[in-house]
Amino acid sequence: MEHRPRAASSVLAAASLLASVLLAATPALAQQPDFTGVWTTYNEPGQAPAGGRGGGPPLPLTDVAKQKVGAYRALVEPTGDTPGGYCLGTGMPGSMLGSGGYPMEIHQRPEQIMIVYEAHNEVRRVYLGNRIVPDADRLPGRNGHSSGRWEGNTLIVETTHLVEQVDQRYAHSDKARIVERYHLEKGAKGEDVLVAEMTMADPAFYTAPVTAVKKWARVPNGHLLPYECAEETWMKHLEELEKKAGEKPSTRR
Amino acid sequence: MKSIALPVVLALVASVTLAAHHSAIQFDFTKSTAITGVVKKFIAINPHMRLVLHVKDTKGERDIEFEGHSTNNMYRAGYRDNMIKVGDTITVYVAPLRDGSEGGYVTAALTASGTRFGARSRAELEQERLKAEGNK
Repeated sequence: MEHRPRAASSVLAAASLLASVLLAATPALAQQPDFTGVWTTYNEPGQAPAGGRGGGPPLPLTDVAKQKVGAYRALVEPTGDTPGGYCLGTGMPGSMLGSGGYPMEIHQRPEQIMIVYEAHNEVRRVYLGNRIVPDADRLPGRNGHSSGRWEGNTLIVETTHLVEQVDQRYAHSDKARIVERYHLEKGAKGEDVLVAEMTMADPAFYTAPVTAVKKWARVPNGHLLPYECAEETWMKHLEELEKKAGEKPSTRR
Repeated sequence: MKSIALPVVLALVASVTLAAHHSAIQFDFTKSTAITGVVKKFIAINPHMRLVLHVKDTKGERDIEFEGHSTNNMYRAGYRDNMIKVGDTITVYVAPLRDGSEGGYVTAALTASGTRFGARSRAELEQERLKAEGNK
């Protein structure tokens, strides 16, 4: 009986020491902000909604890029066709810069951050620490492959393994490397604002790195909606099948 | 979510998201026309809703096909399930086709029960601005 208080005291002391050591060993972890939640485009007070396809100042494109982007635009401008109209997600960096004005949702864990853009259900997975996938095991795609790390309160995300894309505002080659820096600020009404600063380096397409900033406002208790996009195509296909099926008797005659 | 997201989205649907999808170039978003008819077909779908209205006016009776905002944009601008049903008489506010043919891009609608959902068009926003300036 006499030993119990002493034993309990020892355990408490050990636990306290362990906690101190852990906290001292992971100071950045304790400081990291939580970006988990739903976010929508933030506009500064008095600022008109940003956006519009292809707007903004001219970009420092290389001659090769000018030729490729010019050829693409000449192809689609008469019709106004876009990847989104054909149910194709924007891809990076268009997804992180607004994704067509739709909201996004972030799920944050220490080893992985998942970003879901409502439009076209685009998903980005940002791996951290031991979850980072070796270069040789990465497959290229429109959103590339992203790895992250924390610098204090700022999340740094590096994206590589992109495919060449001429169909967005910030066209790029497959050699593009995009660095995003995310941090929290307070908006004019005291709301959480997630600031995303983007720098893209791509010597094949740009004579100098290009930068852009996107601000997201937190939507308390927000929900993302599903975004099935191929239903229309499927319905039209079924209508065509029905039409052909209806034509069969007359064809036989 | 509705009260926070809606103003932002209402503004956005008039600009960004329209530009984000296919063939917006064929519609004149500086204009807004109100068209009333009986719903023959309505599908809330992405990337664009599909609507066929049976319209009777001085030109006669015919079916007119429209497209419009995505389900998601309409939802955030007030649309809810079953607000529009086949057989309902509704009014749609559309950006007309540039080539003058019938149809257009539905930006807002007044349902049979009198509920309006959707974004104000650029033309409506401009009218409101001019009205506000006139009242100063």
